[in-house]
Amino acid sequence: MSQTNFLDEIQEINLAYLLLAQRLLDEDREAAMFRLKIDSDVAELIVTLNARQLTKLARTSQLLCRFSQTSAERLRQLTDNPRDQGLAGLHASLLLASDTFEPMPSGGDK
Amino acid sequence: MSQKSLVDEMHQVQLAIELIELGARLQVLETETELSRTRLIKLYKEVRGMSPPKGMLPFSTDWFITWLPNVHSSLFYNIYLSLKEAAGCDRIDAFVKAYRLYGEQMSLEKVEPVLGLTRAWTLIRFFESDLLQLNQCTRCKGQFVAHAHSPAQSYVCGICQPPSRAGKTRKSQQENSEKM
Repeated sequence: MSQTNFLDEIQEINLAYLLLAQRLLDEDREAAMFRLKIDSDVAELIVTLNARQLTKLARTSQLLCRFSQTSAERLRQLTDNPRDQGLAGLHASLLLASDTFEPMPSGGDK
Repeated sequence: MSQKSLVDEMHQVQLAIELIELGARLQVLETETELSRTRLIKLYKEVRGMSPPKGMLPFSTDWFITWLPNVHSSLFYNIYLSLKEAAGCDRIDAFVKAYRLYGEQMSLEKVEPVLGLTRAWTLIRFFESDLLQLNQCTRCKGQFVAHAHSPAQSYVCGICQPPSRAGKTRKSQQENSEKM
């Protein structure tokens, strides 16, 4: 059944995502927070998770990582820009770069 | 100088080397490290195998507003701000990391970085002295580098609405015909 295949795939992606997140965070904490859009508390927690905890987290029918192009309007501007000059890739990273980290930074502690 | 700890000095040297490797001019090193000019020149020669280029740094904000440089500068500055404000990097750390992340994107796109390291540094200094600001594009909601006090109300960025001659340089035409 395709239904169960999807479920397997989702869990695989979840686990792969968590493992990648851990490796990125180990390599360069701040750059990884930027790539993953997660705040320092979440980052701190993720690196401490062991294999058992990771598998547990990954075992769900929903994806752990979210779609980051949040509005249809913005997505359309990226994919169907009538005046595209070959800058779509730069455009996408520019918009992502200014996205806030989850959960919303409380501000004030700069 | 004599009061400074060895560890601190080592960090300064490391930072200077990193900056030189990324393409920093001497002025950048002099401002961002506490090492003496003589030592910096020596370091530069050791890392690059040649004397540091002489001459003044670009001092006009206009370059950052022209079409392609604006896109690149805006991308870099968005990354820098994120690292500094959200990831909590200190200024120079955020700068070096942001420049590396920007370079990474350039190699993904297989294009030469339009924004050199020294330019990127000048960009940050211009923001720090309020010569530049970020305007939000009314179409894509992206943040783009603009002159300070320029109108932001109906701003549309150079990607959503490129100027009519954008990307039509002789060089890009040549590259296109090569690709054909």
